[in-house]
Parts: sequence; C-alpha cells; structure tokens
Amino acid sequence: MADPADADSETTSDKTSETTPPAPVRPPVGNPYLAAVLAWVIPGLGHVYVKRWRRGLAFLVLIVAAIWIGCLLHGNLYRPLPRQPLSLLATIGAMGMGAPYFLLRSVFGYAGDIASPGFEYGTAFLLTGGLMNLLLVLDAWDIARGKKD
Amino acid sequence: MVVYALLVSLFFTLLWRRERKAQIKLFLQLFLGMVGGGLLVAYLMYPFPPGPPAPIP
Repeated sequence: MADPADADSETTSDKTSETTPPAPVRPPVGNPYLAAVLAWVIPGLGHVYVKRWRRGLAFLVLIVAAIWIGCLLHGNLYRPLPRQPLSLLATIGAMGMGAPYFLLRSVFGYAGDIASPGFEYGTAFLLTGGLMNLLLVLDAWDIARGKKD
Repeated sequence: MVVYALLVSLFFTLLWRRERKAQIKLFLQLFLGMVGGGLLVAYLMYPFPPGPPAPIP
C-alpha cells in the first residue's frame, strides 16, 4: 500500500518541476579569472570586459563617488594594526576597491583624520566602496561564466 | 545618510535587477527603507543620553 505522504511529496515535486522553468544556458562571455581580476583592479572594468559597458560605467561612477566622498570626509582607509585582528577584516574590505586603495595609500599618502567631524561617515563610505567592488568581482565572474546576464 | 542610501540603493538596483520597472521598484524599496529605517532608529534612540566622548589618541 502506498504511503500517502510519499504520494504528496511526489505530487509536490512534479508540480515544482512543471512550474520552475529551466535556467537559460548562456555561452561564456570571456575568461572568468581575467574578468574577476579586472573587476577588482578598476571598479567596473570587469563588466566592460564582459561587454556590459553601460553597467560597468555606472558601477565605476558609483564606486568612485563613494571613495571620493569618503576621502572628502577624511574617513579611515583601514590597514592592519597590531593586536587588533578585526582591523585585518576591515583592511580586506577596504582593499576590495582595488587600485584606488593602493593609489590613495602609496601615491597620495592618504590616511584619514580621526579628528575630522566626518571621520566615521567617511570610513563608512570608503569601506562600502571596497565591499561593493568585491560584489562586482563576483558578478563579473558569473557573467563571464555565462551564469548570469 | 541620504547620499549614502542613494549610492547603495543605486548600486544594488543595477546589480540585482535588469528590467526598468523592477529596478525602480527595488530602488525605492531600498532607498526609502534605509532613510526611513535610519530616521526610525534615530527617533527610538532619542530618549537615551549620549555617552562620554571618545578620547582622541
């Protein structure tokens, strides 16, 4: 005798398979490793590489704006500090912005100003710029592999 | 706060949605959610007195 619970589960799985359309298969657009590296080095460049020009340009403008506002407010551009392990995580987040991080730190000698009234807000902008760019790296990777439009 | 909400909302709208209508809907949800949520939390914190200022090293 068939178990009614099994029958229910079969019916449910049948319905799910009928209603869920299969994921569209897209051809790979480019080398995902190169797309990810480009996306990290220059915000938006990974999207330009996978031929999403407008989106790449929009992301570039948004992330550069976040970094620029963060610098105007004299926010903290994190670096690892001794006996402060969380500063390492924050540094990884800030380094997510790619080349701008190293340019700001090495070329412009930027370090932020803790006495500035906008220090905390500026830090939030700088860290957000880095974290948003890390998401762009993953997005460019997925687009290059054909898993996303 | 508003500028921050604007930047982040625009970013996630472009990242997560492709159709124009869905983009506008998500943008409004994120933007108003962040600004409204920020104001709500600020309002809820209003009765609590601020602590002593942090020392500047």
